Amino acid sequence: MKPFCRTGDHLSRRAFLKGAAVSGGGLVLPNWGGLAHAKTAAEIATKAKKRCILLWMNGGASQIDTFDMKPGRTTGGPFRPIQSKVTGLQVCEYLPKVAAVADKLAVIRSMQTHSPDHPDGIYHMHTCYKMSERTPHPELGAVIAKYNGDLGSDLPTFVRMGSCGNAGSGYLGPAHEPFSLGRDGKLGSFSTPYLADDAEKKRADLFRFVESEFAVDHKAEPFASHRTAKERAWRLLRAKAVFDISKEWPTAKERYGDSDFGRGCLMARKLVEAGVPFVEVGQENYDSHADNFVCHKANMQLLDPAYSGLLTDLSERGLLKDTLVIWMGEVGRTPGINNRAGRDHFIRAWTTVLAGGGIVGGQVYGSTDADGKDVKENPVSEGDLFATIYKALGINHRAKHLTGVRPVWLTPEGSQPVKELLG
Amino acid sequence: MPDLTKPTQAWTLTWDADWVTSVAFIGATRKVAAGNNLGGILVWDLPEKPGGDAPKPTLRLDGHTNCVSKLAATPDGKTLLSASYDHTVRLWDTSTAPTGEEKLVLNAMAIADAERRKNNGAKVPPAMPATVGVVKASTAFEAHKEWVVNLELTRDGKTVITGDDGGHVIIWDRESKAIQKRWQVKGWAYALALSPDKKQACVGERFPLVFDGGRHAAIKLWDASTGEATKDLSAEFKGMHMAAAAYSLDGKVLAVGRGGESDGGSGSVTLLDPTNGKKIKALTPGHISGLTDMAFHPDGKHLASAGRDTIVRIWEVATGKLVSEVGKSRGGQFKDWIHAVSWSADGAWLAAADMAGAVQVWHFAG
Repeated sequence: MKPFCRTGDHLSRRAFLKGAAVSGGGLVLPNWGGLAHAKTAAEIATKAKKRCILLWMNGGASQIDTFDMKPGRTTGGPFRPIQSKVTGLQVCEYLPKVAAVADKLAVIRSMQTHSPDHPDGIYHMHTCYKMSERTPHPELGAVIAKYNGDLGSDLPTFVRMGSCGNAGSGYLGPAHEPFSLGRDGKLGSFSTPYLADDAEKKRADLFRFVESEFAVDHKAEPFASHRTAKERAWRLLRAKAVFDISKEWPTAKERYGDSDFGRGCLMARKLVEAGVPFVEVGQENYDSHADNFVCHKANMQLLDPAYSGLLTDLSERGLLKDTLVIWMGEVGRTPGINNRAGRDHFIRAWTTVLAGGGIVGGQVYGSTDADGKDVKENPVSEGDLFATIYKALGINHRAKHLTGVRPVWLTPEGSQPVKELLG
Repeated sequence: MPDLTKPTQAWTLTWDADWVTSVAFIGATRKVAAGNNLGGILVWDLPEKPGGDAPKPTLRLDGHTNCVSKLAATPDGKTLLSASYDHTVRLWDTSTAPTGEEKLVLNAMAIADAERRKNNGAKVPPAMPATVGVVKASTAFEAHKEWVVNLELTRDGKTVITGDDGGHVIIWDRESKAIQKRWQVKGWAYALALSPDKKQACVGERFPLVFDGGRHAAIKLWDASTGEATKDLSAEFKGMHMAAAAYSLDGKVLAVGRGGESDGGSGSVTLLDPTNGKKIKALTPGHISGLTDMAFHPDGKHLASAGRDTIVRIWEVATGKLVSEVGKSRGGQFKDWIHAVSWSADGAWLAAADMAGAVQVWHFAG
């Protein structure tokens, strides 16, 4: 008979030994012990590998209406630029809080990518490979989960909420598949056991017993996968308190903004603080083929407090230096404004933004021409961006894997980290 | 009386510097003003009779630095008001003499586009030059801190209601520029109207998210003297963003129109009883992809509605009957909008602000 997993087996030993503690918000988290205490968590997190939060602008945010403004040009639109904290970096007037933390940002204005539509763009900007390839490439989150995550943790290593990636863990296998929360960061209703604790435990013990007997004669991978998934689900239930932000939210919403996206960003901060290596938070409403400006204006009013609040919160907790925060979507938007007051998809010259772990903030990399129609200097491809991200996170961007007998690499051949962005 | 069943197009007043976003006849004069997406305002003197070459603009009013969202003029034609995304409402004395002249090419964009596509066989059109007097003097209402998206002037020309994307609604005394009342709605103010007796305001609100839980749509009637909501019609129009509202001349009918392409396919007009908010009737068909503006005819019996289907519809208010359609749908996904409409004081002319870069002027013979 195989040994059972017992309560606490998969908690961080360091955290567990510190015993139950009270969080900054006064919340008692018995299953998490010291992990819930901000200072302790920060200490633990900084000793762990680097983490990453991806703020995913689903549909594709307009670079000209956010971080690469073209005032006075026919492509400029009605938004006006404001000066950020960084010389040479103006941002949209509807991002005043982001402007105030611009010293943390590395704005890449010269993205030049290759997949112009949503499914292929989402895939490409999550894997750095084209969707049309037969190889099932893993998403950024799965790669970071594999290299920087602890599979023994009670928490998932790849968490996402809202509309996000579409590739999953690819050739890295089911252990690195994403765990999805609701758009507002809430756990699904499946996470509430329908039995009392004692009954649930007895039931789990019985299941483990039967499974372990079964496993003696059934060693195939799918059976093991099933058992692993079940164990992870139970462990997740033990760590469930981490997903509860109800006590923090009344004060945190002042900083993050009272929106689903704001809640998602707070949840992301909480999860990386608890040791989750990758969290993706999706923000909707960017695919503005019509009414681009009102859509973006509404979106930025949610993005501004959430994004700036996340960076500030991470920074105050000492987590930002080891947490890379990425702001990007699958495409940019056309400089030209169509006659539905919209902007369409654009991949020839658009913007992504990096901040935090491993990145030198307060800079603009690359540039576009006067109307934003083409890259003027320093084009950055999907592969280059991912190489930069992996390098910042301490992952070899040319790490080789095998799908069957075929070798594949984390980034396409020729991809190079942008050294100017890296600390 | 003009026969509203028989529109004829009088002229297309080309001005393709950007989208033409607003339009207003100036009092009982032959002047029509239009504003555009860049903040420009041009004024034309229309001939007495339709036909012949399109008139050229005579004046340019300089002052706005962003989209002119709405224009209105006092009935005596002495003052033109313009609302803008630059957060101001400007008041222009129409008797102010120009301080200079400037030469424009009214079809400069069409020429530039054709030049770019010349290698593919595009024909470069001849230039349409014009010389305009430039007026720079204006005064302003400056209490808004956000895009002023809507403005209405009461028929006596004395009271103005404005609304912005911060949700601020302000009622002004035009002459003194004093704020009579202001209040804030939860969303962005969008549709806006003040009853002829100035006692009631209708405000349509929006926060135009598509998927996020923060999306907001509401329409309410307000006591204009207290700034208190008196009737919430949001349940009747659940989830709909109302782009325009207008009271009939006698104040007995309130028309509201649904707008916004992402808000649904049909931007229809609904007539309401403003005393209780009850629906009187819905006018069909709606404007595909959303309604943009409405204007009651000076006879008080008809209503014009315009939309993103590039059609202006004229309705008989008492019966809800469609009297005529002005213009045609340009069709397809990539078309233009009619942003705004305005009736001349005699009701025989209709001007429409055309996103394609023109003011369309229609005549109704009587």
